[in-house]
Amino acid sequence: MEKLIEQLKAQIIEALNFEDMTPADIDTDAPLFGEGLGLDSIDALELIMLMDREYGIKLSDPKAGKAIFQSVRTMAEYIQANRTK
Amino acid sequence: MRIAITGIGAVSAIGMNCAETLQSLLDERSGIGAMHELGSVHTDLPVGEVPFTDAELKRMAGIADSEPMPRTALLGIIAAREALLQAGLNEEMVNEKMVNGLAFISGTTVGGMDLTEQHWLDYANGKATENIRLHEAGESTNAIARYLGISNQQSAVSFIATPSTACSSALNAIMLGANMLRTGKTKAALVGGAESLSMFHLNGFNTLMILDHVPCRPFDAERHGLNLGEGAGYLFIEPEEQAIARGATILGYIGGYANTCDAYHQTASSDNGEGALLAMSGALRMAGLQPADIDYVNAHGTATPNNDLSESAALRRLFGDNLPAVSSTKAFTGHTTSASGGLESAICVLAMQHGFVPANLNWSSTAEGLITPVTHTRHKPLRHILCNAFGFGGNESSLVISSTGTDLSEAPMIQLPNEQINVQMVNDEMVNSFVSSAESRRMTPQMRRVVAAARRAMEESGVAIPDAIVCATQWGCMLQSMRFLQDMIDSGEQQLKPTPFMQSTHNTIASLIAILTGNHGYNATYSQGKQSLDCALADICTQMSLGLINTAMVIEFDEQVDAWDAVLQHIGDRTEDIARVHIYTNNSKI
Repeated sequence: MEKLIEQLKAQIIEALNFEDMTPADIDTDAPLFGEGLGLDSIDALELIMLMDREYGIKLSDPKAGKAIFQSVRTMAEYIQANRTK
Repeated sequence: MRIAITGIGAVSAIGMNCAETLQSLLDERSGIGAMHELGSVHTDLPVGEVPFTDAELKRMAGIADSEPMPRTALLGIIAAREALLQAGLNEEMVNEKMVNGLAFISGTTVGGMDLTEQHWLDYANGKATENIRLHEAGESTNAIARYLGISNQQSAVSFIATPSTACSSALNAIMLGANMLRTGKTKAALVGGAESLSMFHLNGFNTLMILDHVPCRPFDAERHGLNLGEGAGYLFIEPEEQAIARGATILGYIGGYANTCDAYHQTASSDNGEGALLAMSGALRMAGLQPADIDYVNAHGTATPNNDLSESAALRRLFGDNLPAVSSTKAFTGHTTSASGGLESAICVLAMQHGFVPANLNWSSTAEGLITPVTHTRHKPLRHILCNAFGFGGNESSLVISSTGTDLSEAPMIQLPNEQINVQMVNDEMVNSFVSSAESRRMTPQMRRVVAAARRAMEESGVAIPDAIVCATQWGCMLQSMRFLQDMIDSGEQQLKPTPFMQSTHNTIASLIAILTGNHGYNATYSQGKQSLDCALADICTQMSLGLINTAMVIEFDEQVDAWDAVLQHIGDRTEDIARVHIYTNNSKI
């Protein structure tokens, strides 16, 4: 799980163009949206695309992302339970 | 001056002319269905296609099959001809200057993207590279003008412009045309927009997850997104006096109009519909009307969860409990994007002429916050209609079409106003002092430079919130467009990223600056080749003449892109980095 979390942080930084950040800068349990990283609806779509590309998980309803993307940890847990690659 | 509408033209999935369009509306017959013409792999997505091949459209338009022509231009030619003919003008009469000074203003964003995406691999291999010129938004407008016999070279046309503010482009074309009439810069204007489907924007909207897999359901609780459509729509407008003098039939009047910016997000609308409310109330104010005077609202109503909720909030704020009849006609035509303001204005004129509210198809239930639309054709006289068109970046426009007309103020056209400052940002160190890394994480380097230049220009001129932000760009946001295009071709339309698409539209720069600075004022973008800046300046001059604005930011933007240059070099051209920001003030009015 810890390995997946680290990998996921690096993928988030790349997908969302956080050029000045390193995985250590992202708190595993901090909220991704609103406060925390301050992501928006386009970032949510980029994260959905990231899960499809890297882990073979397809979400057809963007609203489903809300629960999954609460934090890096909830996202990693969802990926571990649902990944197809 | 009362501005009369004396001709309309409409082409879409529900008809190749106004008569067919009217019949489909009255019969409640939608044009949305399975994809036939567009060569996308996403055939599971319903679309509102014009049911003819390019070759068939060329035959209708009287164009040789061998002549390369964007589908946008083909749709535009057919609709524009209808509007001219209905106004009582044939091509010969136009050429013989029966109309002295005709402006042709036609909005588009797709332009020739359909040809570019079909032929990109050929271009990249050095084949037929001369056709890349047709990619430019303004080239579709030029092609339409040529086939109407009103090209720039012939003196009958005084002006050609291509507004490109995404889905509000055509309404902005109508507004500029009206402002040019009011300043005497032209005696007649053919105004509206044209847009074909393209794989590029179908895939783009798909990455935003706002396309429904069944026919769209505007304002319905279960709505799940929009269906893309294609088409063209134009109004022929002229001073009432001239229309009467030449015996033209007056179909309706331009009552009032407004263009505002939601200044909220590049693709999402604000929860309270601020920009939409400002646009609608601004149009009513110009028309001298109260909300209760409006008999029908042709809503933007795309059927995305976000738009319909935001637009409902704005409608509630404007009309309170006395909501007039509202419908979205996008369940008939699909969302014709840049053409929608022209097509739907033409539909409003038909509705006014024949006394009916078009149905909002596919609606079955409401939910909290949503307005309830008119679900079946309702026959009743319509005196004043409000037509909405909202675009990416929060480019919101509203137009009042009236049976009686408003006496709109006139003013002589002023010369180019005083330029207060002119900033060109090239030093990247300075860029960093004006744009934070959090703000700029999605921006291309050239976008960062232009945002920095805009902030510096506002700071140095002391004009913190210009009344208008107008961008001039030849190629648009080419770096993000190329990224999305190449990914789309390389991947076979799979797993595309939304950010490059979101930032591919020509209006990205002007709207981005409005969003970053909280500017709800007038916001527009022109893409007319090397004449783009002239169009932007004509826009602000007419508005300053009329006292609609006193301060304006004019932005020149283009990006140097290697992959694009590799093709352009075959025709002796290249892209270049331009990020120059001017602040103009009309001192005589301050």
